[in-house]
Amino acid sequence: MSVCGGSGPAAAPRLRPRAAQMARRPELLCGAAILLGCAFLVALKVTCSRAKDVTMPAKLPVNFFSTRSPVIDLFRGQLDYADHLRQDSEIVLYFFYAPWCGQSIAAREEIEHVASRLSDQVLFVAVNCWWNQGKCRKQKHFFYFPVIHLYHRSFGPIEYKGPMSAVYIEKFVRRVMTPLLYISSRSKLLDFLSNYEPGVLGYFEFNASPQPPGYLTFFTSALHSLKKDYLGTIRFGVITDKRIAEEISLLHSGSVYLHRHVNTSLVSIVFMLYQGSELNCDRYLILFHCSKYSLLFKNTFSQAILSHLPYSGFLPHNITFSHITKVALEYHKCNKSQAAEPDLQHLGDPDSPAFDYSVPDAHMKLSETFSITKYPCCNTVVLPQWHSISRTHNVCELCVNQTLGVKPNKVHVPHCNFLEIEAALDSFYLQEHTFFQVISNTIECSNFLSFYSPFSYYTACCRTVNRHFLSFISSEKTVFQTPEVAFSSHGKKDNTQNSIPHIEDRKYFIPDFRTSGTNITGLSCRTNKTLNLYLLDSNLFWIYAERLGASRSTHIKEFAAIVDLKEEVHYVLDQNQTLIGSTL
Amino acid sequence: AGRGRAVAGLSGLCLCLRERVRAMFYHAYEHYLESAFPYDELRPLTCDGQDTWGSFSLTLIDALDTLLILGNVSEFQRVVDVLQERVDFDIDVNASVFETNIRVVGGLLSAHLLSKKAGVEVEAGWPCSGPLLRMAEEAARKLLPAFQTPTGMPYGTVNLLHGVNPGETPVTCTAGIGTFIVEFATLSHLTGDPVFEDVARKALKALWKNRSDIGLVGNHIDVVTAKWVAQDAGIGAGVDSYFEYLVKGAILLQDKELMSMFLEYNEAIKNYTKFDDWYLWVQMYKGTVSMPVFQSLEAYWPGLQSLIGDVDNAMRTFLNYYTVWKQFGGLPEFYNIPQGYTVDKREGYPLRPELIESAMYLYRATRDPTLLELGRDAVESIEKISKVDCGFATIKDLRDHRLDNRMESFFLAETVKYLYLLFDPDNFIHNDGSVFDVVITPYGECILNAGGYVFNTEAHPIDPAALHCCRKRKEEQWEVEDLMREFYSLKRNKKFTFKRSSNHGGGESAKDPEDISSEKGGEKRNSKKRSHSLLSCPSQSFNSKLAVLGQVFLDNT
Repeated sequence: MSVCGGSGPAAAPRLRPRAAQMARRPELLCGAAILLGCAFLVALKVTCSRAKDVTMPAKLPVNFFSTRSPVIDLFRGQLDYADHLRQDSEIVLYFFYAPWCGQSIAAREEIEHVASRLSDQVLFVAVNCWWNQGKCRKQKHFFYFPVIHLYHRSFGPIEYKGPMSAVYIEKFVRRVMTPLLYISSRSKLLDFLSNYEPGVLGYFEFNASPQPPGYLTFFTSALHSLKKDYLGTIRFGVITDKRIAEEISLLHSGSVYLHRHVNTSLVSIVFMLYQGSELNCDRYLILFHCSKYSLLFKNTFSQAILSHLPYSGFLPHNITFSHITKVALEYHKCNKSQAAEPDLQHLGDPDSPAFDYSVPDAHMKLSETFSITKYPCCNTVVLPQWHSISRTHNVCELCVNQTLGVKPNKVHVPHCNFLEIEAALDSFYLQEHTFFQVISNTIECSNFLSFYSPFSYYTACCRTVNRHFLSFISSEKTVFQTPEVAFSSHGKKDNTQNSIPHIEDRKYFIPDFRTSGTNITGLSCRTNKTLNLYLLDSNLFWIYAERLGASRSTHIKEFAAIVDLKEEVHYVLDQNQTLIGSTL
Repeated sequence: AGRGRAVAGLSGLCLCLRERVRAMFYHAYEHYLESAFPYDELRPLTCDGQDTWGSFSLTLIDALDTLLILGNVSEFQRVVDVLQERVDFDIDVNASVFETNIRVVGGLLSAHLLSKKAGVEVEAGWPCSGPLLRMAEEAARKLLPAFQTPTGMPYGTVNLLHGVNPGETPVTCTAGIGTFIVEFATLSHLTGDPVFEDVARKALKALWKNRSDIGLVGNHIDVVTAKWVAQDAGIGAGVDSYFEYLVKGAILLQDKELMSMFLEYNEAIKNYTKFDDWYLWVQMYKGTVSMPVFQSLEAYWPGLQSLIGDVDNAMRTFLNYYTVWKQFGGLPEFYNIPQGYTVDKREGYPLRPELIESAMYLYRATRDPTLLELGRDAVESIEKISKVDCGFATIKDLRDHRLDNRMESFFLAETVKYLYLLFDPDNFIHNDGSVFDVVITPYGECILNAGGYVFNTEAHPIDPAALHCCRKRKEEQWEVEDLMREFYSLKRNKKFTFKRSSNHGGGESAKDPEDISSEKGGEKRNSKKRSHSLLSCPSQSFNSKLAVLGQVFLDNT
């Protein structure tokens, strides 16, 4: 190439003016190119030696975040400095990025947004983990970008795997900041217990010592759970008042109470933390996870799944959600003698015995009829991409049944570890098949028939909670022989409304769901089909609703539809339509 | 229930990204004209040009129809004039038969077929004659000597002036034998000279005859003795566009035979090379794995699967490939799947289009926003990594993003085109048959530009309707008219239409496919012209509505 008088390629090059100018002082170029640090010049320097093989090293890394940003940008991948920074702050968020990566670029704004809100409490450090001269690239080996790691003092990293959106990230960071909820009063306890997500409560006596035995373990366990459960579905609470602790039979400091709403088998597991080894405690918590996730994952197994993102905490949403939950419960209730209409006014009530009551019966029958020889833990494949945490009901018990094959009324902890669960997974699926084939002849409470059955119905309802645009899609999958199952769950809410209209919403909902409750109670028992309920975050999954015919223009992302997979039809529910019973 | 187009949040993204793609195109294109024309390719680091595949101003020919897809009619017209004046195939150059066909013949053919749409003054016989068509024919005739072998399979290289050089190696890669039918059949249909289609079919049949007992083809074959020289079987480099052209040829020509060939290969490929939705390389006779690598070129496969209606598998494989992109910001030529890293000496990414091509097809089929995300990632990567003052440079090593002094012509012909089409849902290329042009040809009235374009492997779109415009024999024309009459009488009955078209399947199919496509609409492009049986695209299952974000919402039993 003629720039430096080297051998030229076959084709005579046309020099652009700038290049030609440079060609007149090649000695400067060849010597000073690196110092100048300009990529273009570096390229020309290489041409000095051999024109045929012109290459150019990658551009040097530059700032990824603006200098005004609250995020510390280690764009040269100074991982050592990043580690050093960690010592100064209680909570640190690391944002490992690659400058070329579209997802990193898209997430940058979101991180900045979160950082601007939390920068006084959390240290935000961005590290370029791509540049091959940087320490980060040399030490870490990521398969995708960006990667978000959180540290709570020395604990970590906790990887955030949720959606790259500021709201979700912020929520997660806040959970890492305060993994334990402080339960100071009876009403808070009730709030805690009435939540649809499973919870863990610890009672610790702080009067005796600032660091009661087991507290640290409990605290770490809460953080541990966030590692696996990036949405923080399992809530951890701490009680310091003896009287409140007694409400849930926690008598000794260091006791831990595992709570799962409307779940016969795991409703209350009380164990003494400080009496068992710490390892044991972790194991229990892991088990807790495993059984919970199994519910999530395996919708083939479930007759009713409600999944939702825990963006609750707002009264109106809770109400909406609880209504759906109750509908689902009613639907699956086989024992009709129980009160068909749940008292919806008592949403704060921790346990509704009506629900708990009927289910064990089904289980008893089940476990009697089918002696299950192999007992895998509730083992299912997660559908982690859903980004949603589901709350399932009857599934849970079935799960435990499978696990232990004993009377489900008993309080127990499934004794199998994580590995076993994984190993058992395959056989479990197989077993399930045979299991369902058997059951289909004897129509017991056929809650357990799910979509192995050929006629399946599917319903999707999407909901939004007005403030904060928290929205949910609930979708139900029903398997009914007669197709006219109607499900309605619709309430229109206005984004601009404040809490007063919410009360109206509430009123609006209650009658609806009462009807629904009566009409569909026990339906799943009378038919050999099942109904699955899904709640999805319509912020993330609105496209499902669109596929089912939801309007794109709507402000409020609420949508409900029944989908019949077999018949390939779906029924979209009108906003104001109330719930109709089954025409069975 | 109608499908929404893009997700609400992403439709805005679409347009801004589309404009960024447009800017990318002009950045590269203008620097090519300024610094490299009339050479084949731009050398972006040194800002000059070089001849690579011949001396045809290759980048310009290749980029021609991209200009039209971007809507730049005036530049298209100018370039057509320039090419007519300057390009000359009577030159003493050894050219790759394969590359010359897909880039030059394909590029000229598509430019010829699109020129009326672009407002170019066309002569009376168009689309059955015209200067660009004559150029394409001339280029193709220069390639014909390569096909004079005992097996009918062509040599890999030919001298444009003297024919096959004495002493030329008889070893040709499989793709170099089976990648002619789209261009050559189009040429034969337009010019009326059957020789092109005949040689292309003969080569295809020879490959088919020489497949192994387990139904696989190797990588290189001796065209004289028909012995396999390289016995690695896979879907990537050396084989790729052979499979592609079986499908695309079947669609273009409504040819059931080609499709049944492909489907049989497809079964063997699934049986022997597919593991966890990856496709490996195996020994063609034994089926044992020889290389557990993923090649950048293999990324066309999901797009091809979507053309035969296998969208679920396509999506799964696509997501595998996408993870590789996320790891490096591009697809390395070879990626060792078990090790999860690049393969020595094969770390480059010459801005290949294949993954983006698949994303474009799949997005037409599913509207899954994940596919737009890939497009966004590709735009960001290419701009951040390979953009230099003079254009876009090949990435020499994906591990450190070192650049090479090359910008292949397929960057403007394919990569940019597919990116643009991914982000431009209303482009005329995506026409579902709801609009069309009627032209008067010497052989009667004829419908064109009704959509269903078949892209050749260099992303040059061929209008399948044009193949039915230039029939010379009267009786055939009558047959068409009869069928048209029959068709209109049964206008609303799609199924029947399909049956009928399958009765007339084969290369000489006399039906006018555009009427069918104008009836259908909505479905994925290209798939619409299959006859009911072998060539039909299975309608998407109901729960595919719920299959977004890369997963199936409900596990179907």
